[in-house]
Amino acid sequence: MASVIYGVWDGKIYDNRDRDIFEVAPLPELAGFDFFNEGNVIKAFLGDRGFFVFEPGVDLLDALVRYAAKAAEESCGKCTPCRMGTSLVRDKLAMLHRERFDTGLLAETEMLARHVRQTSLCGLGQSCMTPLLSALDHFRDMLAPAPAPARRDDGGRDHDRRGDDRQAANGQYAMHYVTAPCIEACPAKVNVPRYIDYIKDGKPSHSLGVILQKYPMAATCGRVCVRFCEQACRRNMVDEAVGIKVLKRYVADLEQDISRQWFSPDMVCTRQPDHLRVAVVGAGPAGLSCAYHLLLKGYPVEVFEARDEPGGMAASGIPSYRLPKEVLRGEAEIIGRLGGRIHYNARLGRDYTLDDLMGRGFKAVFLGLGCDKGRLLGVDGEDPDLSGLQTGIDFLLKVHECLQGNGCMTLGGVVVVVGGGNVAMDCARSALRMGADEVHVVYRRDKTDMPADIEEIEAAREEGVVFHFLTNPGRILSEDGRITGVELVSMLQGEPDANGRRSVVARPDSARVLRCNEVIAAIGQQVDEDSISQGDGVRFGRRGFLDADGTTLSTARPGVFAGGDCYSGPSTLIKAMANGLKAARSIDDFLHYGRVRFFPRSRMRRIIGDFRALSNESIETPVENKYRVRVRELDPEVRKRLFDEVEKPISTEEAYEEASRCLRCYRIYSVITESPVPDSAL
Amino acid sequence: MHDTMQATINGTPVTFQENDTILEAARRGGHFIPTLCELSDIDHAPGTCRVCLVEIIRPGSESPVMVTACNTPMEPGMAVRTRTSRVREMQRLQVELILADHDQDCATCTRHGDCELQDVAQFVGLRQSRYTRPDWTRSRPRDETSPAIIRDMGKCIRCLRCVEVCRREQGVDALVFTGTSLQADIGMRNNLSQGASDCVACGQCILVCPTGALAERDETETVIDFLDDPEVITVFQFAPALRVGFGEEFGLAPGVNVEGQIITALRTLGADVVLDTNFAADLVIMEEGYELLGRLKEGRRPTFTSCCPAWVNFAEKLYPDILPFVSSTRSPQQCFGALAKTYLPEKMGLDPKRIRVVSIMPCTAKKDEAQRTMFRQDGARDVDVVLTTREFARLLKREGINLAALEPSTFDNPYMAEYTGAGAIFGTTGGVMEAAVRTMYSVVNGRELERIEVEALRGFESVRTATIDLGGDIGEVRLAMCHGLKGVRAIVEDVLAGRADFDFIEVMACPGGCVDGGGHLRSKKHYQPYARKRRDAIYEIDRQMPRRQSHENPQVQRLYKDFLGQPLSHLSEELLHTHYIRRRTEIKQTINDIWRDITMSTLVHSEFDAAEPAASRKRKE
Ligand SMILES: Cc1cc2nc3c(=O)[nH]c(=O)nc-3n(C[C@H](O)[C@H](O)[C@H](O)COP(=O)(O)OP(=O)(O)OC[C@H]3O[C@@H](n4cnc5c(N)ncnc54)[C@H](O)[C@@H]3O)c2cc1C
Ligand code: SF4
Ligand code: SF4
Ligand code: SF4
Ligand code: SF4
Ligand code: FES
Repeated sequence: MASVIYGVWDGKIYDNRDRDIFEVAPLPELAGFDFFNEGNVIKAFLGDRGFFVFEPGVDLLDALVRYAAKAAEESCGKCTPCRMGTSLVRDKLAMLHRERFDTGLLAETEMLARHVRQTSLCGLGQSCMTPLLSALDHFRDMLAPAPAPARRDDGGRDHDRRGDDRQAANGQYAMHYVTAPCIEACPAKVNVPRYIDYIKDGKPSHSLGVILQKYPMAATCGRVCVRFCEQACRRNMVDEAVGIKVLKRYVADLEQDISRQWFSPDMVCTRQPDHLRVAVVGAGPAGLSCAYHLLLKGYPVEVFEARDEPGGMAASGIPSYRLPKEVLRGEAEIIGRLGGRIHYNARLGRDYTLDDLMGRGFKAVFLGLGCDKGRLLGVDGEDPDLSGLQTGIDFLLKVHECLQGNGCMTLGGVVVVVGGGNVAMDCARSALRMGADEVHVVYRRDKTDMPADIEEIEAAREEGVVFHFLTNPGRILSEDGRITGVELVSMLQGEPDANGRRSVVARPDSARVLRCNEVIAAIGQQVDEDSISQGDGVRFGRRGFLDADGTTLSTARPGVFAGGDCYSGPSTLIKAMANGLKAARSIDDFLHYGRVRFFPRSRMRRIIGDFRALSNESIETPVENKYRVRVRELDPEVRKRLFDEVEKPISTEEAYEEASRCLRCYRIYSVITESPVPDSAL
Repeated sequence: MHDTMQATINGTPVTFQENDTILEAARRGGHFIPTLCELSDIDHAPGTCRVCLVEIIRPGSESPVMVTACNTPMEPGMAVRTRTSRVREMQRLQVELILADHDQDCATCTRHGDCELQDVAQFVGLRQSRYTRPDWTRSRPRDETSPAIIRDMGKCIRCLRCVEVCRREQGVDALVFTGTSLQADIGMRNNLSQGASDCVACGQCILVCPTGALAERDETETVIDFLDDPEVITVFQFAPALRVGFGEEFGLAPGVNVEGQIITALRTLGADVVLDTNFAADLVIMEEGYELLGRLKEGRRPTFTSCCPAWVNFAEKLYPDILPFVSSTRSPQQCFGALAKTYLPEKMGLDPKRIRVVSIMPCTAKKDEAQRTMFRQDGARDVDVVLTTREFARLLKREGINLAALEPSTFDNPYMAEYTGAGAIFGTTGGVMEAAVRTMYSVVNGRELERIEVEALRGFESVRTATIDLGGDIGEVRLAMCHGLKGVRAIVEDVLAGRADFDFIEVMACPGGCVDGGGHLRSKKHYQPYARKRRDAIYEIDRQMPRRQSHENPQVQRLYKDFLGQPLSHLSEELLHTHYIRRRTEIKQTINDIWRDITMSTLVHSEFDAAEPAASRKRKE
């Protein structure tokens, strides 16, 4: 736990300079803050809301020079004060530090810094002078030069693009991290404001390039992502979140044809030795993302997929009215274009074991198996062999096969879908499209508790799906092996628990019967246990998912890594793809160092997460309301019988307009450490 | 209707509506706030210059906050102060910072005296420039690859007006914002040079650029060389739109017809032969009209006009598939040039080799057009040099000529100076179409249109359509007039997709037509403020003309009788028609190229960043 010697954060001043360090009570928010990486003391921290000094003898001015240099580098260059001011402040601070400390120059620097903070257009300029100004306001004396030995002449100007500033002055090293609320909220840490900027700038290829740094499936993500970023978007405080997802779809669709030519095996810069082969099991989002990153790193990669097509749940689960299959397929082709091979109909546990893979010369394996086994309801009268009863996953797979022309099913009459998540919504809306006369969704809690996106619920309602909230199936009714109905019970809400969710209990004597022909259980998914055999050396965790280390994704068996739904439980596309990236990095390290190295950026994320706990987000000045682009949709009456894509693309003009809504909430965070922060591959 | 709300500016109450900006409210209330990047005529407030600072005190708060007026909304009860000493100081510092990497060589700058940056420096009372860094200025690029437009980033203040115009008004979208930090500039899409890019040289960006960052290539020097050389016979022509948009420069009212003064000015300069592009406009109607009638009879439709060179560039660079639909008739400028070196010397007994043709055009793309290889005879250009209206003004000033003080005079050349009302209206959107309809009607029916002014063709919407009965064996024709390339793009796409049903489509690349051309005089802080006045003046010229149909032009008749034979004759084809080339740029790149170019600090695959550039950018066609 770190003890603050002095500093300012979010307007609060901490000054313990006149005390002995052991007398200072550590800040509980900064638990685990002593070292950045092992043995590397964090001497100071600078960020958008101030700075902290944790060690005696820190050269604060040097830290500020480095921070200012990063700010000057990060300035987008559009607005005057930030473009000019950050560079001028950097140069003046460097001069103060290196050549002559003179109070006149310091006052001029301060004037410029205030100007940058008060008049800059975006979050970067508005926040990047805060450490300097809070030092000037409260700890001016700490900026005067100590009677120190001669300093190294680096002026804080040299820094590589990863923000790891290798040059030391007085035993101080800096590592910078630039982020924004939307970036931090994104599991894959996509640089959202950057790709939005590139749209504004008129460079859609670059915009897509920013996204492709993180995963290959941009058009897919631009259609079905659950948008953690938009929830965190600061624009919510003005009017509505920036349409981050729709902009992603826009660039991915716009560049779709040419981006196919962007990838080829010979564009990869570094080739890894031929024997460092990697096997990826499962061609879902996690597996594809892992394979993509490894291929870009130059590894020979082979993918083994149980089914006959790539995409995992994005292909067989997510219905085509939300994600047209050709979009997904086009993006999965990138693997082949990069020289990766995908073997289809190759199921781990049935066709081969992990030992087989290792025996065939694979040095590392990534397991991206997903959760492709549905769960039944577990109520009376439920017999897996009943005709008319199926899990949501199985149902959607059948719908998918049917649309692919592989043997069609017929659906008619009344369909009851049990569950409140997106899978349930997909089942209900697909059932309508397959010809059901009536579709009912039965959910045990209330509407506001539904995990499904509100947009999905609304879309289903518009299409005519009937919802029964606070209702649970009590019993399945059947005759001659066919479902005839389901007994429903009303639920009563109890007191909210710690998470604000209210427990529910069955209301006595509320049972009633809903006649139906089909029951679809969309209440959860599991990993197929048959995939993993005893000898594989991979363990299941408590919740029935694969066990792996949270930071490295390595399983109990060395060289075997797991990620995506099979590790986290049913989750989201973006989390699965983020896991794929993380695993690729771990595998890269494993194959080169036999272990997974320290990853500075992850560490930085945890640190700023802690600091965020000390900050309040706000918007200080009035901002013009500009409402979010409305995505046009197919008419519910038309679309409810079609699997055509419901959401229409936005126009170029709308994209420019939407992009201009982003406030660019960039922030720079720096740690000052005692020794250099180790380099790491990704 | 939204409710009206109350606030104060400098203590005076103002009313406003939801989402009104402080700047809008202040302007309405007569409070001046210096601005630089903002341009209300095109609804542009990117908030980049940060000069329009004001202090606000929000209700419930004590402390004043500094905001930019152009993009901060008014709030009820807000107190705005536009001229406290803090505001003035910070505005001053802002302009001082803009100058830090600005190449402040005002005396040599094309924009000197017409520069919004100079103005704003005065408005904020700037008296020093402490932060100027020549090392920063020097590193900024200058692109001289286009025959028409020079892009000098050393003078760019990153107001983004050019990007906005090229994107939103013109729909060409050739300009991008490129680089970050001190390297942030305006560039061309796909890292191309201006010359190789999709820029069609329309010059609309120059009209909005507040500084000397965008300018026409100045060729006044060449013209003075010609005038000075006793061996050279100078033949001048000037465009239909020039005469209604030039007086302002010399303090005359906008829209005043200064044709007579221009003729005097040219003679004062020492021009040997002063002629009129309007004559060539009448000629174009003959050629294009007959061409169109021929194509209609063959059932080939639609036909696009071809007199606008920015449009021709647009078609060649962006939609080469449309080229077979573009009329083969050369523009008036080039028809004129071809005749000025053949017919004219023959008639006047001059040595064609000594002739230099100088045109004065409200158009930057004409510079580009004049140097096309198909407009040369024996290697010599038909039109030797093109001056934009702005350069012509510069030329007169260099020669100490004050247009306003000149007595008007008239053309006296018996061969290529006379024009009809039809030639005169070429300068405005709808004009070419109207002129063509007048003549075609008469060719088909052997008599004149009853109402010579075809109201159906006039208007300001960027795409207008009309159906006109030409009678005879032609019957009804479907016409479209579009101006501003954004509307043009829509029509072209419709035609290519088979969605459009037209016979004849008039295209002018500049919104408004040549009267608002990219080479015309520009107005500070405004975009095309005189469109209406100039247009009215053009129609007034037409109304005053004794002859208002191209085929009635006696000098055109004489040209056919003495020289060309008839429209579309062999000689006409050779001198007055042309062909087009497909010039679409196909960009081939890999993700490497893109990643190498991306600036951000969260690159995962930064190894690509350092890689050698693959020689992968290729041009095709
Ligand atoms: C109906 C539905 C709708 C959804 N909607 C959304 C949404 O809108 N937005 C969102 O973000 N997420 C959504 N999700 C979640 C998202 O699809 C998953 O989180 C994501 O696909 C998980 O990726 P994964 O690669 O971990 O697993 P999967 O996508 O499940 O892929 C696993 C792959 O491994 C293969 N495999 C399995 N076992 C073996 C084996 N033994 N050997 C070889 N291969 C094997 C499978 O065939 C599959 O191809 C949805 C999920 C479902 C089911
Ligand atoms: S406004 Fe832009 S930068 Fe800020 S959180 Fe939203 S998307 Fe991110
Ligand atoms: S753009 Fe304006 S300020 Fe800059 S050099 Fe030219 S005249 Fe001077
Ligand atoms: S000249 Fe026209 S096309 Fe070229 S950059 Fe300027 S506005 Fe765009
Ligand atoms: S080139 Fe001119 S119009 Fe374009 S951004 Fe620069 S100063 Fe503004
Ligand atoms: S005029 Fe307001 S920021 Fe430029």
